[in-house]
Amino acid sequence: MTDYFEVHERDGAARVGELRLSSPLTTPALVDDVLEDAGSLWSGDRERPAGDDSQLTVLPHRAFPGGTPAEVQESFAVDAPDVDYPSVAVVSSETVAPQGTDAYALSDVQSAMGHGAALVEAVVDVREAIPTDTALLFSGVATPRNVALLAYAGVDLFDGTAAAVKGTEGRYLTTDEAYFLEDLDELPCSCPACQQPREEFTRADCAEHNVSALESELAIVRRRIRDGRLRDYVEGQARHDQWLTAAMRELDDQWGYLEERTPILRDARIDAATADTIRRVEIQRFADRVTTRYRNRFRNPLVLVPCSAAKPYSESQSHRQFHDAIQWRAHLVSMTSPIGVVPQELETTYPAQHYDTVVTGRWSEDEKQFVSEVLGRYLERNEYPEIIAHVPDEGYRDIVERVEERLALDVTYTVADHPTDDESLANLSSALSGELKYSKREREHNTVRAIADYLLGDGAGDDLFANIQTTSRYPKIQVRDPDDTQLATMVPQYGTLSFTLAGARRWLESDAPTKRVEIDGFVPHGSVLAPGVVDADEDIRVGDEVVVEGPKAFAVGRAEMFGREMAESTRGIACEIRHVEET
Amino acid sequence: MSKPTPDVYEQGKGMDAHNQAMREIRSRKEASYDPHEPTRVWLDEDNTPDGVKSSLTIILNTGGCRWARAGGCTMCGYVAESVDGGSVSHEALMDQIDVCLAHEDENADEPAALIKIYTSGSFLDEREVSAESRRAIADTFADRDRMVVESLPDFVDREKIADFTQHGLDTDVAIGLETATDRVRHDCVNKYFDFADFEAACAEAAAADEDAGADAEAGIKAYLLMKPPFLTEAEAVDDMISSIERCAAVEGCHTVSMNPCNVQRYTMVDDLYFEDGYRPPWLWSVAHVLTETADTDAIVVSDPVGHGSDRGPHNCQECDDLVQKAIKDFDLRQDPTVFEQVSCECELTWETVIERERSFNQPLTR
Repeated sequence: MTDYFEVHERDGAARVGELRLSSPLTTPALVDDVLEDAGSLWSGDRERPAGDDSQLTVLPHRAFPGGTPAEVQESFAVDAPDVDYPSVAVVSSETVAPQGTDAYALSDVQSAMGHGAALVEAVVDVREAIPTDTALLFSGVATPRNVALLAYAGVDLFDGTAAAVKGTEGRYLTTDEAYFLEDLDELPCSCPACQQPREEFTRADCAEHNVSALESELAIVRRRIRDGRLRDYVEGQARHDQWLTAAMRELDDQWGYLEERTPILRDARIDAATADTIRRVEIQRFADRVTTRYRNRFRNPLVLVPCSAAKPYSESQSHRQFHDAIQWRAHLVSMTSPIGVVPQELETTYPAQHYDTVVTGRWSEDEKQFVSEVLGRYLERNEYPEIIAHVPDEGYRDIVERVEERLALDVTYTVADHPTDDESLANLSSALSGELKYSKREREHNTVRAIADYLLGDGAGDDLFANIQTTSRYPKIQVRDPDDTQLATMVPQYGTLSFTLAGARRWLESDAPTKRVEIDGFVPHGSVLAPGVVDADEDIRVGDEVVVEGPKAFAVGRAEMFGREMAESTRGIACEIRHVEET
Repeated sequence: MSKPTPDVYEQGKGMDAHNQAMREIRSRKEASYDPHEPTRVWLDEDNTPDGVKSSLTIILNTGGCRWARAGGCTMCGYVAESVDGGSVSHEALMDQIDVCLAHEDENADEPAALIKIYTSGSFLDEREVSAESRRAIADTFADRDRMVVESLPDFVDREKIADFTQHGLDTDVAIGLETATDRVRHDCVNKYFDFADFEAACAEAAAADEDAGADAEAGIKAYLLMKPPFLTEAEAVDDMISSIERCAAVEGCHTVSMNPCNVQRYTMVDDLYFEDGYRPPWLWSVAHVLTETADTDAIVVSDPVGHGSDRGPHNCQECDDLVQKAIKDFDLRQDPTVFEQVSCECELTWETVIERERSFNQPLTR
C-alpha cells in the first residue's frame, strides 16, 4: 500500500513523482533532508521507529552489499514492519520482494555502478519486483554526470552523498566530468560555492558545488521527464561516460521493461541525432507495428519516396510535388531513418510526425540495414501490382536495391538526378500513366482502418470499421456507422483514434483485441484513480484508448498508466475519461 | 565450563547460512602444507604489561581451526593455511618449534623475552595441540619472560595455564573476541561464543594468576576486529570503542589488540570486496578509536596488516605510512597526542564517510 508516493508524469521508465510528506517533494530529487535511518540490524537491535509524515523513515534493515552469498541473504532477510508513516525498505537486487513500503533502497547499489549491464540488471530486477507506484532510492551514488541516466533507468530518489564525498576527495563534478580540482585554473560554474577566488576554493567548497551541480541536473531531469524528452537528453548526456552509454544501450535490450513503460504517443519531439535513436522503443515499436499490424488496403501501385523535414510529410514542399505527380494514383510510402517506412495513412501517427533527424544525406550502415530490414518485412506482408521507387541515390536507392534483390522484386526507378527535379517528377507521373485514382472515400476509410490496425492489432481496421462512413476533413476524420452515429474521431496530433461510447461498444463486440479497464461500482467523471481499478489488461500502454467498465458505468478514455500499473497502484490517475454513461 | 563446542553450536539459520557460504568459498582453495614447517615465524617488539619486549611470533600449523572446517569466520582465511583435513602429530609440532628456534637463532642477538604462539585455532584445545605437546612447548620456552598463546575462550582453564606459569612464565591467553557485541560477533563475524564466555575465560585466567602467586602472572589479551563485513565505518568505530571499554572493565583482561580487518583470500569478505560490497577500515578510524579509548584501564594496541593497500586498512595512499607509523608509536607509548602530529586532506573525506555512510550505500569510497 503506497500512501506517500504518487507518480504524476511518466517518460518511459522515468517518472516525476511526489513524495507526499508534510512538505511535499517532487522527484526525482535528493532526499538527504527528509531521510531518517532507523538503523542497521547488523550492528544492533532496533526499536520500531516512531516515524512521522515530515520525513521518510528507513525501516530497520539488514542491508546486503554486493557479493553477499545467496544463503546469507535468505537467512538474514528482514520483513518490514507495517507502519502508517512514509517508509523505506532496504532490499538487495537479488532477493527483493515487496514490503508494503512507499519506497525501496537498494543495498548493493555500489556494485551496480560503473558497469552498464550490472546497473540495468539491478534496476530492472528491483523495479519489476516492487509495486510500480513505489519510489526507488539509490543512496551514495548520484553525481551530476550519472543522475540523468539513473533517473532514465527508473530510479526516483537520490542523495548528495557521493557528490559530497567526491568533493572532499578533490574531484570537481560537472555533468560532463569529474575534474581534478587541482587541475582547474578556473571554476567552470557559477553556483554560490564557486563565487570566490580560485585559490580560496577548498575541498569543502568543492563538495558544496558538487551537490549544487547535482541539484541543477536533477531539475533538468524533472523538466525533461515532464516534457517527455528525457531519452533525447540522455542520448547526449550519457556520452560523457562510457559506462553510462553502455547502460543506456543495455536498457534498450530490456524490451519488456522499457516497452511496457513507454507511452504510445507524446506531445513532444523525438531527436534522431545519434545512432542509438534507432533502438528507442518508440522507433522499434513503430517499425514492428507497421510490419505486423498494418495492412495496405489500396490496390494501386506503390510509390516509395524519401521523407521530408517538414511533418506531416504531406505538408512539405517536396511531398506536394510528389502528390502533384501521383494524383492519388498510387499508395505513398515514405522511407526514413530512423523510422523505417511510413505508409501515407500513418503519416501523423506518433512518432512519424514527431521526429526530427540530422540531415546530411549520409547514411550509416546501421541505418541502411534497419530501413532495408523494415522495408523488406513490409513488402513481404503487403503485395503491390507495381513498385516504383522515387528515391535519390544517397542511401535510399541502395536500400531499395538491397530489398529488391533479396525479395526478387522488380522495381521501377524514376529519379533522374533529384526527386523534385522536373525530369524525375515527369518520370514518376508517366510511370503511373493509365492507373486509376482512388476516391477520397477510399482514402479516408483506409486511413482510419490503418490507424485502427496500428493501435489495436492486426485486422482491427476491418473488424471494427468494415461498414462505415467518414465525415469532416482529413486529418480530423470522423468515423460514423451507416446510421450516422459517430464511432470515433481521428486525432491529428498523434494519428490516433478517440472513440465515442458507441465506438467503444462496437470495439468490444468486434474481434479486435480490446484494452479493458475494470472498475469498482462508481461512475467516473474526469479521471479514474488507481484505487478504483479492479483489473486492467496487461497490454495497455500510456496513451492507449481504453474501455472502462464497472457495475455502474461504461466509459471510454485514455490510459495515463500502463495496464499492470493501473491494477497494482494504490495512488495516481489511471485514466482520463472522455465519455461515460451510467449502467 | 559447560561451554558448547563448535560442533553443537552450529545452529541457527544465520549461522547455517554463513557456514554453508564459507565452506563453499574455502573449497575453492587447493593447497596443502607441510606439517613439519610452521605457517609463519617472525621477530618483533611488543608492548606488554611489563613494558616493551622483544618478541618471537610463531604461527603454528596445527591442522587448522575446527570452526573454520565447519565454515567459520567471515573474514578469516588462515584455515586455508593449515594442513589438509588431518591433525598434526606431536613430533611434527615439535619439528615446527625447532624451525622457529633456528629462525630466532639466526636473526636475533639474544633469545626473545616474549614468545607468542598462534595456531589459527586454539592452542589450548587438546584435539589441536595435545597436552603432551603443550607441556613440551612450555618446557622449551621455560627460560623466557612471557608467553602468549591463542585460544578460543572454551578451552581456557587454570590448569592448562599453570603448565606455563609453573615455569615462572608470565602467561597471556590471546582470545579472538573480535567484538564485545554478541550480535556483531554472531551475525557479521560468524563466531560462535558470547561475551559471557570471554568473561568466564578471563575469570579462569584471573584464578590462574592467583594460583601462580608471585612467581608469574596470568591474564587475557583480547583481540578485536575492526569493521567486520556488513558494518559501516561509523558502526565499526562505535563497535570498537564500546568493545575496548567493555574488555578493559573485565578483570583478568589487561591488553586489547584492536586490529582492522583486511581482505584475505577465500573468505566472504573477499567475495564482498570483489563485488564492491566491502572496504577495509580507514586508518583514521583506527587512530580515532585509539584516541578515544586511551584513558581505559588496559593496554590498547593495534597492528594494521597490509596498511595502505586496497585489501588492507587504508586512507588516501598519501598519508597511509605516516598514520601507520603513528599507530605503531602509540602501541609502544600509549600516548594519543601522536595522532595530533599527523594530518591529511583526506580526513575530511573520512569525516564525511563517518557521517554519511549507511549500510545501504556502503562502501562510499574505495
